[in-house]
Amino acid sequence: MHPSDPFLIRSCFSLYLLSALLHLGELLLPNLRLRRTALGMLLLGFALQTLLLGWRWGLAGFLPVTNLFGTLFFFSWSLAAVHLYFDLRYRLPAAAPFTLPLLLLLLGAALPLDPALPSLIPALDTPLFTLHIVFSFLGYALFTMAFALGVLYLVQRRRASPRLPDLADIRRLNEEAILLGFSLFTLCMVSGSLWAYVAWGYYFSWNIKGVWSFLVWLFYAGMCHAKFIRRWQGTGYALLSIAGFGVVLFTYLGIGLLLESNHPLE
Amino acid sequence: MPLRIWNTLCSLKLAVVLASAATAVIMGGSLLMPGRPGLFGAMDRQLLGEWFSGPAAMRLGETWWVYLAAVLILGLGVNALCCFLDWLAHLRQRWRKTGEYLIHLGFVLVLAAYAWGSVSGFRGEEIKVRAGETVALPGMPGHYLRLEGFEPRVGAGGRPLDMINRLVLLQGERELRRETVRINHPLTWKGVSVLAASFGEEATGFRFLAGGAKEIDLGPGSELTLEGGGRLRVLAFHPDVVVRPDGRVVPGGPDLRNPAFALELTTDKETWRGWYLLRQGLPPRLSSAGLQLRPLEPVGRTYSLLSVNLDPGASMALAGGLLLGAGSILALFSYYAKRSRRDRPELD
Ligand code: HEM
Repeated sequence: MHPSDPFLIRSCFSLYLLSALLHLGELLLPNLRLRRTALGMLLLGFALQTLLLGWRWGLAGFLPVTNLFGTLFFFSWSLAAVHLYFDLRYRLPAAAPFTLPLLLLLLGAALPLDPALPSLIPALDTPLFTLHIVFSFLGYALFTMAFALGVLYLVQRRRASPRLPDLADIRRLNEEAILLGFSLFTLCMVSGSLWAYVAWGYYFSWNIKGVWSFLVWLFYAGMCHAKFIRRWQGTGYALLSIAGFGVVLFTYLGIGLLLESNHPLE
Repeated sequence: MPLRIWNTLCSLKLAVVLASAATAVIMGGSLLMPGRPGLFGAMDRQLLGEWFSGPAAMRLGETWWVYLAAVLILGLGVNALCCFLDWLAHLRQRWRKTGEYLIHLGFVLVLAAYAWGSVSGFRGEEIKVRAGETVALPGMPGHYLRLEGFEPRVGAGGRPLDMINRLVLLQGERELRRETVRINHPLTWKGVSVLAASFGEEATGFRFLAGGAKEIDLGPGSELTLEGGGRLRVLAFHPDVVVRPDGRVVPGGPDLRNPAFALELTTDKETWRGWYLLRQGLPPRLSSAGLQLRPLEPVGRTYSLLSVNLDPGASMALAGGLLLGAGSILALFSYYAKRSRRDRPELD
């Protein structure tokens, strides 16, 4: 048995998939048992993924997020953690149809990639790297949650369904996701800047990934304020959450796929 | 009137406008960056101020957005500072927002530090230093770096793993700092950072197969007694020389291209001096003296390449970064306590 065993990773994916399908089913045919099973599957998938992550971390001796498989695996784990946090704290299964497909996309995209543990290149051998990565993906996961809540807000505004949470509640949760995400992303920027300083002698690099990470930070800093302006509350805020997720996706994936950058994780 | 100006400077709406405008400008402009690596890549190799007045000024058509973004972000900095001061003035009623306002102060400090470091100091001065040498620190008169020991670590397949530099920073004779500099561990002192950038090997001589199948290493100062009674001394070794049209031999670059020895042969009757260009074979005078040499491989020593930066704003930026971090953690944990109080500004 090895934590990179494709069977274990696929089992994790299958549990999430099952949970997503059950959540969808529960949305169409409300049923408490269905809902509990869906949550149970999600918890089981998350427990398995946490185990695999910890196991991989222990075997490698460092958080293995130095290649695309590693980051997709960790991003999907962070998203599952954030979704569970909101779901368990606020009873929010209605967000699942929006967060779980994204989780499945992230983990699904990792499935065809090589899960073997990479060796650590010396430049990444610092705790600042671990902090930078952990905060960045937790931040991204909260921005993804905000995206899901933004979509949920727009759906609820059109449908006014009694089975979905109140608009005011969705708005409040969205603001919470943005503030928590922004705080964690600030920690990601601070640890990244410290790392850049010890690695390069300067704390901000004008490489495209660095610039876009600053943009993500600035965008969500703007959102932390926009919620105080009445005109931007509600629909405007939901749309901003959706647009912000586009910026996140471009920074995380788009730059690596479309452009060239000298960021150490490219 | 002054109150109106102050209120505008403290305005949250202005913050949203500036942040959105800066985001939009950088978003659009940054897409030009990957296509012009020469122009935008230089932003990391020199101070932003130098880049603004040098390469960027010559290609304003492609770089105007960076100037505009700088103005917008500086405006945001002033705006955030005013908000912070305004909060400070109402601390009694608004102390619960300490985390949030530490974030604002941290941002202002980092921005001011970045602006400071963009107009003074220097970036990426490379120095080549060998173990045992003391070299002058660029841009810091009277300061020196002594490399007490250097050990490159190379992994399987020749992959460079680390560069262990035992460095001492000196002011005149006085020791200021002693540090083992390696990847991710620079020597820092008052805004100066010295980093292990790279290392290389330089040829200091050559290994030969001499008569009797004996291997010998020759380098500056080596001496050899010839069977015929003469004495050969190596005056100098150059990894590369250039032969001028008039026959004069002059040293070339540091890379091993056309290696040559300046030699001196002393016999009872005469002293001969001349060049031995390895690619051309032994000069006839040396062969006739009974010398047999077949070049095998260069012998050399490693040197360390250090990169030196000076950023006078570095400590201020660190203070700002720590405030940003502390503010974020505080804002994160105090969020739930405050949520129930609903004390938030609400603007039309
Ligand atoms: C990039 C710069 C900035 C960052 C990173 C930043 C960050 C933040 C954060 C994280 C919050 C907390 C939001 C919340 O309570 O949910 C906040 C609130 C606030 N910010 Fe900023 N901000 C910045 C610039 C500004 C500027 C320029 C102003 C000037 C008007 C400003 C004024 C405020 C105000 C008034 C609040 C509300 C505080 C309260 O709830 O009483 N911010 N900011």
